[in-house]
Order: sequence, then structure tokens, then C-alpha cells
Amino acid sequence: MDKLLEIKELCKSFGDHLVLDKITTDINKGDVLCLVGPSGGGKSTFLRSLNLLEVPTSGKIYFERTDITDPKTNIDEVRKKIGMVFQHFNLFPHLTIMENMTLSPINVLKLTKEEAENKAKELLNRVGLIDKKDTYPNMLSGGQKQRVAIVRSLMMNPDVMLFDEPTSALDPEMVGEVLDVMKELAKEKMTMVVVTHEMGFAREVANRVAFLDQGQFAYENSPDKFFKEPNNERLKNFLSKVL
Amino acid sequence: MENILKALRLNLIKDNRYLYLVDGLKNTMIITLFATILGIVLGLIIALVRTTYDNTNGLKNSNAVLKVLIKIANSICQLYITIIRGTPVVIQLMILFFCIFTSRNASGVLIAIIGFGLNSSAYVAEIFRSGLMSIDQGQMEAGRSLGLSYIDTMKYIIVPQAFKVVLPSLCNEFIVLIKETSVAGYVAVQDLTKGGDIIRSRTYDAWTPLLIVAGVYLLLTCIFSVFVKKLEVSLRKNERTN
Repeated sequence: MDKLLEIKELCKSFGDHLVLDKITTDINKGDVLCLVGPSGGGKSTFLRSLNLLEVPTSGKIYFERTDITDPKTNIDEVRKKIGMVFQHFNLFPHLTIMENMTLSPINVLKLTKEEAENKAKELLNRVGLIDKKDTYPNMLSGGQKQRVAIVRSLMMNPDVMLFDEPTSALDPEMVGEVLDVMKELAKEKMTMVVVTHEMGFAREVANRVAFLDQGQFAYENSPDKFFKEPNNERLKNFLSKVL
Repeated sequence: MENILKALRLNLIKDNRYLYLVDGLKNTMIITLFATILGIVLGLIIALVRTTYDNTNGLKNSNAVLKVLIKIANSICQLYITIIRGTPVVIQLMILFFCIFTSRNASGVLIAIIGFGLNSSAYVAEIFRSGLMSIDQGQMEAGRSLGLSYIDTMKYIIVPQAFKVVLPSLCNEFIVLIKETSVAGYVAVQDLTKGGDIIRSRTYDAWTPLLIVAGVYLLLTCIFSVFVKKLEVSLRKNERTN
């Protein structure tokens, strides 16, 4: 198996509050790992540690064999290959959709404006938003914004995509369109780590589902077994509330 | 009516006295323009140092040298703001003129530009800082997660948005600055106010030159306000929904 991310004894605390408690796991190429669990369980903190938006208190994270927790590692180089999608989209409101998508490829990957725009058009076409390319983010619906945010990340050709509750800020009728794009990605063998409350998505798309509780991977299994035979009291309790 | 015309003739036309006002206006505008530029550039740099220090907890995750550097820079900026904001601009000008630039051929206008520019930068720094802090943290995270460096994220994403937020306060600061330059006469600069003063001393008429000078300041600030209003509208284009 091709290890993309190796996480070793990852700990994170905010002051006295221990949020991640010695998490050790590997994420392989092609994995779709869904993280579920109660709020405050450490899902988002774990995800945000993977591209060092949260700096771990202790422990190691290796991305493609590079220790990204080493201060000598150039984190910008690593982040180029790790896409991230946020709950609140975080599109740049002062730039058009096209500019949102091409800013980083032009400045970081050194594509020409034309190359970047061609690529952006192709991706926008795929998510059905090509006619929005010259508008500003404020003119889009939540679902459209999140689809743009996903393809904006894809512009960098990432090796892994991190999703931090990508549908939690959406109106219910817009959840589907975003999940569809993510399903497409999974079909194309994109490695994905997804923090989500969409159990249906986890069951259908993931190959691993993990229950994060009290800062630990309290239970992890394939989606089938995860939902059918949850071998953990707190998980049973959690599932009974959300399913 | 006749009295007014007579007063105008005495204060403006006779001996080409209007030239005092024209020359004065020219100096006022030169000082304001260059002091503004100096204030914005220096103010933005100070604001960036202070925000970077605050946002990153003193670059907690960088190497030791950078940590020490940012700490020193931040302390200097804080001290600078405290001193500049805590003392009157006239005193600062006089210190520059009588204590620091004592050479006989130092130009009063240049000293005024430096003095007002430095003074303004302290206020502008705090204005910019409030703007930079008002931008959602998610914008920085989105920029960084796309592989952009901290500096590029600031340059392309944070500063342009912050600039839009602070434009009204900046405008206010420069209206204050235009009027504040009226104390430049203290350091032997013949600005607009001083020009009016000279006329008064020749004609012994206080009303006319002072009202004219006041009117010119009012006109200047009004023109400036209209210009900024236009800029604001054009920057807000992307906020209109449909």
C-alpha cells in the first residue's frame, strides 16, 4: 500500500484542553476516509493538522515521506499538494470566480494566465458553473460557492483533498449538488479525508469511517461494519442520535 | 456690496497680494500630498508588522532569528505609535526643524512633509491594523492552503479587502491632515494659512483673508471627499448582488 500520510502519536491541546490525544494512523493513496463524531471530538482539529493550519503540540505527520511538522520543512511546498475545502467556502470576495481559481496556479505553479484560465474553464465546465466565471462570489448560492471552492483546490492538482464539513453551512436542497461533485472525485480515485455529518455519504463513498471522540480514533472500520456492528458504546449512542 | 469689493481689492489685487495665497496653497498641497504618501506607506508597514506579530503569536512556529526580529520590530512600532500619538504635531515639527535638521539650507517644506508624514503614519497604522484584523481568518487559511506564501496572501487577498474597509477612515484622516498642515507656519513654511496671515499684517484687515483661507480649505476637503466617494463606489462593485 502506498502511504500518503503517516500520522504518529499526534497530540494537540489548546491551553489545558487536550483536543487530540495520541492519534496514530496512515492514509493511503486512494483512501476516502470519513471522520464522524460529536462536536468537540477533535475532527476538525485533526483535519486541520494535516496541512498544518493547526500546529500539533507533539507527534509527527509525514506527507509523502516528508516530516511536515519539522520547522525546516517549507510548508508552502507541502500545501500545494494538499487541497482543502472549508465549511464556509472562503472564496475571495474581491475577486471574480475566474480570478479566485487562477490566483494560486499563476503565482505558485507559475502557469501562464492563458494556461490557468483554460484549466479553470475545463473544471468550471465539469461542475456546470462556466457561465459564472466572470461574476463575484457574492452572486452565487451556497452550493455554487462550495463547488467553486472544490474546483479552486483542484486547480493545484493536489494529491489529497481535505474537506472540513463541506455541506454543514448549506441549505438542505444544496447539499446534494456538492456531494455529487465529491462522489465524482472519489470515483476518480482522489484521496480524500472528509469531516462530515452526512452519514449517507460516508456509507456510500468512504472506504474507511472513523469515529473521533475525546481526541481519539475511538472506532474505525469499513462503512459496512461501522454502521451495522458498531462495537463501541459511545458510537452506538452517537449513531442512534444521528441516523 | 461696495465695501466687500473694496476689501477684496485691498487684500487680493493691490500689490498682487493674491500671490501669497497662491504660493501658500501650492505649499499646502505639496505638503499634504507627499505627507499622505509617506503616511500610507509607513503606516501600512507598521500595521503589517503589528498584525503579523499578533496573528502568528510572534511567529511561534518560525526559527529563532525571525522570532527575535519580529519581536523587536513589533516593540519599536508600538513605541513609535505611543510617542507620535501622544505628543502634539507642532512640537514634533519644531523638534525636527530646530533640533534635528538644523542646517541652514534645510527646506521647510521638506521638513513639514517628513513631520506631517511621520505623524500621520501613526494614525494610519492603527487604521490599517483595524482593517487587517477585520478580515475573516478563513481568508488567510484559504490562501495558505492553496500554497500561497504568507506575504502573497497578504498582498493579493488580505490587504486589498482591508483597504476597502478602511477607506472611509483613511479619508477622514486625510481631511484632518489637510487642515493640520495649517500649523506649518511654525517652522517658517509659507503655507496657505501663513499666506493669509501675511496679507492681514499688510492690510490690517482680519476678516477678509481669514474667510478666504477658510473657504479654500473647505473647498479642498470637499473635492477630496468627492474623489474618495467615487473610489469607494468603484471598489464596491463586487458587493452588489445582481
